[in-house]
Amino acid sequence: MRNISAALENIILGGGTRRPDYKVYAWDPAEATISEVVSANGILDDPAPVDLTPYVSDVSWSDRQLTFALVDPAGLFHPDFGELRHCLKDGAILRLLEGDETVPEVDWAITFTGQVHGQIGWKQSRSTGQITSRLTVFGRGETQAYKRRKITSQEYTVGTDIGIALYDICKTFLGLTGKEMRIPFTLGRQFKHKTNQLAQVTPWDGVCSLLKVVCYQPFFDGEGKLSYVNKSLHRPAARLFEDGDRIKELEVPECSQDTVNKVTVTFLDSQLERVDGPYQKLGQAQVTTGFFSMHETLETWWSEDRKQRADGTSMKVIKSVNSGILPVGSEHYTQLDEFHGQIEVEISVWVPILATVMIAEYLAAAFIPDDVIVLGFGASEGITIPVGRIIQAQAMIGILLIMMSIGSAQYEVWGTPYDFAYLEKKSVAVEDGLDYWLENNLDIKNDFIGTHDQADIIAMTELSWQKCLSMPRKVSVADDPRLEVGDIIGLPDGRKLVISALSKNIKRGEIPTLLIEGCKVLTA
Amino acid sequence: MSIRQIIDWAIEDSRSQMTGTIVSPFYEYSDYGGHWVWACDVDLGENLGVLRCVPVAANNRELIYAEQGRAVTLSRLNNGKWVITGLAKSLNSTVHYIFMSFTDDTYQVLRKQLRGYIIRPLTYGELGTLVVPYGYGVLPYGAQGKFDAEGNFLEIVETY
Repeated sequence: MRNISAALENIILGGGTRRPDYKVYAWDPAEATISEVVSANGILDDPAPVDLTPYVSDVSWSDRQLTFALVDPAGLFHPDFGELRHCLKDGAILRLLEGDETVPEVDWAITFTGQVHGQIGWKQSRSTGQITSRLTVFGRGETQAYKRRKITSQEYTVGTDIGIALYDICKTFLGLTGKEMRIPFTLGRQFKHKTNQLAQVTPWDGVCSLLKVVCYQPFFDGEGKLSYVNKSLHRPAARLFEDGDRIKELEVPECSQDTVNKVTVTFLDSQLERVDGPYQKLGQAQVTTGFFSMHETLETWWSEDRKQRADGTSMKVIKSVNSGILPVGSEHYTQLDEFHGQIEVEISVWVPILATVMIAEYLAAAFIPDDVIVLGFGASEGITIPVGRIIQAQAMIGILLIMMSIGSAQYEVWGTPYDFAYLEKKSVAVEDGLDYWLENNLDIKNDFIGTHDQADIIAMTELSWQKCLSMPRKVSVADDPRLEVGDIIGLPDGRKLVISALSKNIKRGEIPTLLIEGCKVLTA
Repeated sequence: MSIRQIIDWAIEDSRSQMTGTIVSPFYEYSDYGGHWVWACDVDLGENLGVLRCVPVAANNRELIYAEQGRAVTLSRLNNGKWVITGLAKSLNSTVHYIFMSFTDDTYQVLRKQLRGYIIRPLTYGELGTLVVPYGYGVLPYGAQGKFDAEGNFLEIVETY
């Protein structure tokens, strides 16, 4: 609800005679920025605005735009040569003040702040002599620059309040100062993920997605400040229309649309969770070893890129180093970390020693003189056995045995591969008893939500909000400048409406009829 | 049928990427063109179910290693078919359901439920105990089972 001065509030609620009045001020965009106008306390007087009020008539006001006719017999606002054309050119800043003749202007309420987009209309007719000009001013929320270009924000770490990120983004990408924001600096919700960033989204979408975490919807209020509508409707009515209040008209408009009856909130869980794969072969190794190698170390990784994790690993020996004639060593496996393990092949010490000794013996035996043993009595023929060669042959057999034990060993490592993933989780609020072919789903995807608790609240709030939107109401009442979009009003029958749009036609000296478009509030 | 529903369907149809979980070993199958391609079954989540025979996109150097339980991204080709194009960092998981009722002026939360399932190979113990009283031998080693969010067994998943 808009704060207004006590003097103006007394006039509105006092029941006395009201003499409504208004003022329209315009600033040349070359001299003042909308940020300066909005940030100023009251009306910015340096540079001083142009008072358009004497030229303005037929004012149509809504919370999004202001339309009025300009009475311009002197051609002051002609877009080409008008003396005051600069204060209505593209980007010109306009403000509407509403109050009462009996109250000083300083106590009036600022009910609209916006800018001219493009060129104003201006027409002069020779036949009728009429000079007419029609002007539409758009609220700050209609600025297309907020909704077209894509931005990438800086990173925000876990634990940062979402409000802090919001202020930062509004300052950096929307050009807003702290004075231009009515959203609390801290929203009571913190980022749950390690790093958080808006990437390649429009600034307005970014603001919306941040505020969605707390079920808020952003809008620019009459003063041009960034405010919010709280979709959670558990709050008291901003204004109760008692039986004595004059509700001029109550309309239940037709709403021939299927209602959203299911809301799915998809988010990325903030905790990395382990996901196991099936038990399988993770890696393999092979080695050729023997007496020439005392020790072999074989590393096995679970994937070529060395990024696969695994657990519960063990070695399967496909072919052992001991599969030869002699058992020559031992084989051991150790998992070093989650990414790889190590196979160690130890060759027994005696193998190289024996090989060395045998070679030495073979060499030494070559020096043994060959004693010839002749078999047979007095025979001139027979067989001779050189004794030294027998010793040499024995050494050769030893060497060959060791050489025959040289072989290739093959190993496999088996285990359970796993990886860590952020699980994509969902919270679904759905009407009870709904068949799936009747579902009319609204998808909300927001990675700033980190837990099911947050997502549950958003899903429930959004579904009840969508249900409210399906029950529109229109109420016409005597103008109350305090009312804003998002306010809840109470009707005499006890029902409540949440305001979704406001509009009125303003004339001097006449209390405007405020058309409130809203939706019926459902209570828990 | 409303315009909104039609738009929702159109949006759903125009989706060009999804994530899913591999729920079968990889196998070869002959596609419509008669080519042998590597494929597997991919679980797309609770509402969409298991998509069978999803081929692995050719010439994809990103996909180095993927086995059952892995999260993968699926992309839609121009002809409307889905192919596995890479590994995904997020994985479809469980879903909280909140059932609400609405009357003229009020609403209330009736109950909450945790839904979702995982598909994984049955363990040795499960192979022996699931088909009572026959024990081991009825279910082949490597049979896949579907379990709910609480870990309760739901059914055996047919595999190719």
